[in-house]
Amino acid sequence: MTQTASQPATRRFTFQTFILLLVPILLLVGVIILFLSTGGGLDLAAPVPVENLTVERYHLERNSIELHVQNTGPEELTIASVIINEAVMPFTVSPSATIPRLGRANIHVNYAWSYGEAYGITIFTGNAIPFAVDIPVAFETPQPSPRTFWSFTLIGLYVGVIPIFLGIFWFPALRQLGRRTMTFLMAATAGLLIFLGIDTLVEALEVAAKVPSAFQGVGLIGIGAVATFLLLDAISRRQTEITGSETERRLAVAMMIAIGIGFHNLGEGLAIGAAYNVGEIALGTFLVVGFIIQNITEGLGIIAPVLRDRPSLSRLALMGLIGGAPAIVGAWIGGYTPSPFLAVLFLAIGTGAIFEVVYEIAKLIQKDTARQSMPMSVFSGVLTGMLLLWITGLLIK
Amino acid sequence: MKSLSRRDFLKVGGFAVLGTAGATTLIRKDQSHATDQPAHVHPSHAMQQGDHGDLPGTVGEVDHEKNGFNPTDILTDFDAGEVSTLPNGQTLREYKIVALNKDIEIVPGIEFPAWTYNGRIPGPTLRATEGDRIRIHFSNGSNHPHTIHFHGFHPSEMDGVPGTGPGGLVEPGGSFTYEFDAEPFGLHLYHCHIFPLARHIAKGLYGTFIVDPKEGRPPVDRELVMVMNGIDVDFDDANDFYAVNGIPFHYQNHPIQIRVGEKVRIYLVNILEFDLINSFHLHANFFHYYPTGTSLTPSEFTDTIIQGQAQRGILEFSYKYPGMYMFHAHVTEFAELGWNGMFEVLP
Repeated sequence: MTQTASQPATRRFTFQTFILLLVPILLLVGVIILFLSTGGGLDLAAPVPVENLTVERYHLERNSIELHVQNTGPEELTIASVIINEAVMPFTVSPSATIPRLGRANIHVNYAWSYGEAYGITIFTGNAIPFAVDIPVAFETPQPSPRTFWSFTLIGLYVGVIPIFLGIFWFPALRQLGRRTMTFLMAATAGLLIFLGIDTLVEALEVAAKVPSAFQGVGLIGIGAVATFLLLDAISRRQTEITGSETERRLAVAMMIAIGIGFHNLGEGLAIGAAYNVGEIALGTFLVVGFIIQNITEGLGIIAPVLRDRPSLSRLALMGLIGGAPAIVGAWIGGYTPSPFLAVLFLAIGTGAIFEVVYEIAKLIQKDTARQSMPMSVFSGVLTGMLLLWITGLLIK
Repeated sequence: MKSLSRRDFLKVGGFAVLGTAGATTLIRKDQSHATDQPAHVHPSHAMQQGDHGDLPGTVGEVDHEKNGFNPTDILTDFDAGEVSTLPNGQTLREYKIVALNKDIEIVPGIEFPAWTYNGRIPGPTLRATEGDRIRIHFSNGSNHPHTIHFHGFHPSEMDGVPGTGPGGLVEPGGSFTYEFDAEPFGLHLYHCHIFPLARHIAKGLYGTFIVDPKEGRPPVDRELVMVMNGIDVDFDDANDFYAVNGIPFHYQNHPIQIRVGEKVRIYLVNILEFDLINSFHLHANFFHYYPTGTSLTPSEFTDTIIQGQAQRGILEFSYKYPGMYMFHAHVTEFAELGWNGMFEVLP
């Protein structure tokens, strides 16, 4: 009883509240100071120095090997020796051979490497702790030049843009289909997206293993995926509140599918660009054909929700670009400045976006099935979508 | 980014979309770099490779003063001991050796927590004449038990091996005097014989023991001691660096100066742990080789010899032409990891 009376008073943010909020923080500061000055009774001196050095990437030019490293250990470390293929090599480090915690540096070696050969590099720190770097295939790291820029653009076009537009060209034909088939196609799209979502997540987890442990790659995936999912959900709810029109809603879902697939393709472009950069792939003609066949299904997914509507051509083209063009951007970024951190972030965003879109499609399907029950269409549709990607995936595995 | 999951790429064959682009970039770079000079200046100018990248080696100097020894000095640092005559007329030579833990900067920036005799790697070069009585006053100033095990003739209790009495294991803070007659003449060595043996040797407990023949060896202009060793800085029982007289690349960065026509004698000892063999190759020259130095007649006239661990031999040569000449392990991997040096032959 007295609570209700006193509540308005306690809700006000007074100076007293502020002080009370501050008390635990002040106590925390005290504990930290005490701990730092006395060690809190623990013997915190490490018997051996704990050091960690992450080689983010390497850059090869004629007679030059440059290693981009980051100190991901708990304390500063010093680069003391660089051994390439069992030979101690003179080197320079910029800005400094002593790298602070989470600091970055470039190690430069004038080394006459040979095209196509493999190199094993050992970096010794001042505490004689070795870190190994492998260059599986040596070749000149692509420079941002019009030529390589265009090459990466082409990769992006083949992998992302062209297949999606090919898929969109099914639009006139698919419009002729009945309601039940359209629902089937929607379910198939959901299946496609679930497959892509799992794929993106797994890829994110794999790349996360390469992110320096201080940056907690897996945690980053959680943040990126959950935040994207909730943000897209919020946007879609607000849109429903504003328009409420079913056609507009379906168009919005199509757009979101395009965005989700776009993020997926961005991650894919990053991976391809980076893999090309370190010589891990040869993009064969057969492989490019495989890409086109598989990614056609992505275009199909984008148009599935709007088959019964009349979206403008420019709208369709825009959606195709949103879905496909990020593959080009990804190839550029991955090719020139591959960063596991960025890759994980983009892949996490892609995961969140794709699963949110699956949720939106599920809502659309639910509306359809509320009018006319067709459980087998949904089941077979989702399964078809997933199988479609699995089977076309065989082409490029 | 190896993990392409869904996009597992074919690693073989196919038309590389970018292959040609990469190749053209390579060629263009070739042309643009053709006139560039490498910015780096190597201490040894004779070894500049021009536009073909740097040669293996270290840049900068280790702190010899802090290390307490300089390999250049070790070359000619012979310890003849404190000499006196015994009542029976025999020459007595007394040496002092103390085992010490010591951090030694072996390449610029890397300190190796070594175990040493008299604070240096290799330990002092002990020199006596065949038939001399020698006494080595050994004290252990480290925190591990150590011994000195000599190669040569001596009674069992002077062997420095656990189980042979007080000299077979000298505790930290303890001491022992090894005493025996110096024989046979030749080039020998000494090292710690506490187990695990490989670790006690690899950490730096070894040195040269020269027994000259009674009548002496033919005179030469210059005598040098070279002990070939390895350094396992990360304790994985594999050498990370190789050297002569302790410091990798020392004689590459500081060539040994000799003169044309000078007779040079090298006392060469291999104490390399973990690797099976070591070798010595002299450029633009041949040498007479006396295995173990136990004969005054050379067994071979060659430019390359191989030694297993604890093998040693004496090399004699002189240079006909002035200039810079390499000497190095013809196990070339060792050479590029530190076992490389230069003779600067002055006219």
